[in-house]
Amino acid sequence: MNDISPLLSIRHLKKYFLAERNVFKVNSYVKAVDDVTFDIMPGETVGLVGESGCGKSTLARTVIRIYEPDEGDILYQGTNISHLSTREMIPYRKKIQMIFQDPYSSLNPRYTVGETIAEPMEIHNMYDRETRMEKVSSLLEQVGLKPDHISRYPYEFSGGQRQRIGIARTLALDPEFIICDEPISALDVSIQAQIINLLEKIQDEKKISYLFIAHDLAMVRHISHKIGVMYLGHLVEFGDAETVYNDPLHPYTKALMSSAPVPDPKTARKERRIEFRGEIPSPIHTPAGCPFSTRCPECRPECRIAPPVMAKQSGRRVACYKYV
Amino acid sequence: MLKKEDYFKPIDKRVQDSEFIALKPKSFAADVWERFRENKLSLFSLYLLLSIIIIAVSGPFLSPYPYDGMNSSMTNRMMSIQHWFGTDQLGRDLFTRSLYGLRISLLIGFISTFINVGLGMVYGGIAGYAGGKADMAMMRFVDIIYAVPSLLYIILLMLLFGSNVRSIMLGICISGWIGIARITRAQVITLKERDFSVAAYIQGASSFRILFRHLFVNALGPIIVEATLMVPQAIFMEAFLSFIGVGISAPEASLGTLAQDARMYLEIYPYQMIFPIAMLCLVIFSLNFISEGLGQALNPKDRR
Amino acid sequence: MSLLEIRNLWIEFRTPHGTIQAVRNINYSVENGEILGIVGESGSGKSVSMLAVLGLLASNSVIRSGEILFNGKNISPLSPEFKNRPDLYEKTMKDIRGNRISMVFQDPMSFLNPLLKIGTQITEGIICHTHCTKAAAKKQAIDLMKSVGIPAAEDRFDQYPFEFSGGMRQRIIIAIALSCNPELIIADEPTTALDVTVQAQIMDLLKKIADERNTAIIMITHNLGVVAKLCDRINIMYAGDIVETGTTDQIFYEPRHWYTRGLLESIGMNIGSGRVKLPSIPGTPPDLLNLNKGCAFMPRCSHAMNICRDYKPAVSQFNATQAARCWDYCKDRADEIVAQQDKEETLQ
Repeated sequence: MNDISPLLSIRHLKKYFLAERNVFKVNSYVKAVDDVTFDIMPGETVGLVGESGCGKSTLARTVIRIYEPDEGDILYQGTNISHLSTREMIPYRKKIQMIFQDPYSSLNPRYTVGETIAEPMEIHNMYDRETRMEKVSSLLEQVGLKPDHISRYPYEFSGGQRQRIGIARTLALDPEFIICDEPISALDVSIQAQIINLLEKIQDEKKISYLFIAHDLAMVRHISHKIGVMYLGHLVEFGDAETVYNDPLHPYTKALMSSAPVPDPKTARKERRIEFRGEIPSPIHTPAGCPFSTRCPECRPECRIAPPVMAKQSGRRVACYKYV
Repeated sequence: MLKKEDYFKPIDKRVQDSEFIALKPKSFAADVWERFRENKLSLFSLYLLLSIIIIAVSGPFLSPYPYDGMNSSMTNRMMSIQHWFGTDQLGRDLFTRSLYGLRISLLIGFISTFINVGLGMVYGGIAGYAGGKADMAMMRFVDIIYAVPSLLYIILLMLLFGSNVRSIMLGICISGWIGIARITRAQVITLKERDFSVAAYIQGASSFRILFRHLFVNALGPIIVEATLMVPQAIFMEAFLSFIGVGISAPEASLGTLAQDARMYLEIYPYQMIFPIAMLCLVIFSLNFISEGLGQALNPKDRR
Repeated sequence: MSLLEIRNLWIEFRTPHGTIQAVRNINYSVENGEILGIVGESGSGKSVSMLAVLGLLASNSVIRSGEILFNGKNISPLSPEFKNRPDLYEKTMKDIRGNRISMVFQDPMSFLNPLLKIGTQITEGIICHTHCTKAAAKKQAIDLMKSVGIPAAEDRFDQYPFEFSGGMRQRIIIAIALSCNPELIIADEPTTALDVTVQAQIMDLLKKIADERNTAIIMITHNLGVVAKLCDRINIMYAGDIVETGTTDQIFYEPRHWYTRGLLESIGMNIGSGRVKLPSIPGTPPDLLNLNKGCAFMPRCSHAMNICRDYKPAVSQFNATQAARCWDYCKDRADEIVAQQDKEETLQ
């Protein structure tokens, strides 16, 4: 199992955005993604969690080359795709796809469902018109919709159905890797499970890898094989999903897991939430040392000097001086 | 009727699966039309405008009088069966001349707007999509052109190319496209961040495709509304220029020149000015109301 | 006497596409000092009934029937006192809103005026309802800010909303809500837009308020984790109706209605880890323009029977606190219910 090489490798990825232009030419940056490293194996789901501002969405968009990385490498099946030109990216555009959070803006309202799902095939000049329509019908069935929805417009569908249409669109080109950017956050609770089941079914059938970004820890745990926890642009913990969920090592992960509302009254009443002080620091003026040092209940002097490096500990990687 | 012994039997799954009663699939255009129709004033204005256009186009063929047929024995006659609008000081039938004038006004209004929309959409779309320094440069260029009053452009062109329809249209088009360019740019800037545009980008769509298939198509709403306002503005501009004497030259007639011709006789023969002005007003009002109706119809507020 | 009692509330919305049955004849009550959770998804009507209590419904709404008893007094616009006197109704509502019943909504930014200092916004309500001096109001406001956990309250009194984070803004909203010592706070998805850690802090704050001040709270949400922690009792709503009600323990450990059960299962209530398929409720959220004639949940219910299609079930009371509206529990009364509904239909 260890001989299989990763589908996607992210190495020391950094993405900064210009925040303020100082008259003295000392610019300040928002360090949206700050030195992130992890791998995704074929057929595996990596869940990425963290709160607002942690950089998970920016990471996703950098990986799919909506943004260009400032430093670091993105390796897809061994090839470095971090700085490929638009033309060179074309073959990869077929293999890497994305599902979006808001089902109400991810479909062009002026085109029918059929046209939207067929578009990727049109862009890459694949098949003739008839074959495309057959494929669209088949895709619609795969995602649990009816083929005669082909000539309908997005406004006629509910949020969950639109999300299915979005999923059908990503499948049109037989991708190997799909980034799911909060795909269920905007859906009703009873529909979320349907979509999760659909995504899992597709993964089982087609061996597609997912990068699953969400803030609902329970759902992430269910669908992911591995989980990465991000805070202020840093990856603070990464490992097997069950391990990280049940036995978090990093203080932030511990706090996150204990804050998550558990839908079980007896547990909820018993649990003592781990408190931590203060508020999340501004992403422009991040702390000099560990990003969590300003709020960590277990902060030590060495935490304030330099950010800790990811190290292996108990079957996962953690970035914390407690485990160095 | 449900029989008592069947009350508690499990339901047939097909009943649960029955297709949701959806609204009939309606294309964008059909949906807009339906909403436009609800505004009675706009609908009426649309029919009015269409009638005016039909009359303007076909009228002169049906009229027994040529627009420049002078008849010195019939000068300055009031409205009659032979001359529905009467005659002017040279004996020309005013009804025919008004229709010709209307033609010219409509021609100038629609063609110049058409050109402006085309130019403006492309320019604004590229600027908005490109962003960054290119966008900034393009918009500063636009600011400079905009700073000069369009009247000045028109007069300059008239000096160069003479006072005719072409010069006026050209003059209106020099800076007329700027409003559309700005609107398009603003729309494109917002729309290119929408998930469906990002999705197209991720699939490898070319910039051209994204611009035309995704951005322009969704930006049409405010553009159409602005365009329908530009038509009466252009018509009025021409009428105004002709009225003050720097517009179209004789014997061609436009509603403005007709009004100018009638100015001298206003106190004695008021009808000579009233008719052209009334027609001008009808056209401009109906276009404005159509624009308002379109604005409401295109507003996706009750649509999700 | 309950603090708030809703009886037979029926609210419709007139839209160009038809009439939406937003709230269909619901009954419930809230006692002093308790935290009631109202759980539902889109189209359940959970927010609408609250807006009716406060007189904040949109202009295309019609309250077909209903009594809203606040401390025994009927404050519904249909009551004999207000029936033809909208001005008196509005005056009474103004006195109640922000004063005896206050609100906390989902998006703090749209609730706060970006152009006014937050100190002004907190004291506004105090001065309006208690007519005290500006200085007294300021002192009270600063105390409130401290009690909701805003650090450096004296300095931050003069700051503007944009200078606060999302969690802090929500605390300000809660401070405003508390400013006149209300008897009831209506919180409509107050933590949905917040991060998980901030959400936990706000939930603790709300619980503290309920305990210390004996303020009743109605917590409207779709998040079952939140109600598990916070609420004493829960109403589960679907398509404008309360399908089940009970204490928190009863709802989570002994759910009766199939929607409740489906909901709990789909959030992995009894699923541990591993890639087991999540049980899910099939179908789509209800179309309020075209609700099923009988039980609204029928199209998605795994246990639907023939009678569920044509006739609405009656409420079955299981014990002092738990009740559900489902044909599984009122089979014995089927004849009367069917006869009743047939009669009503012929009368229409």
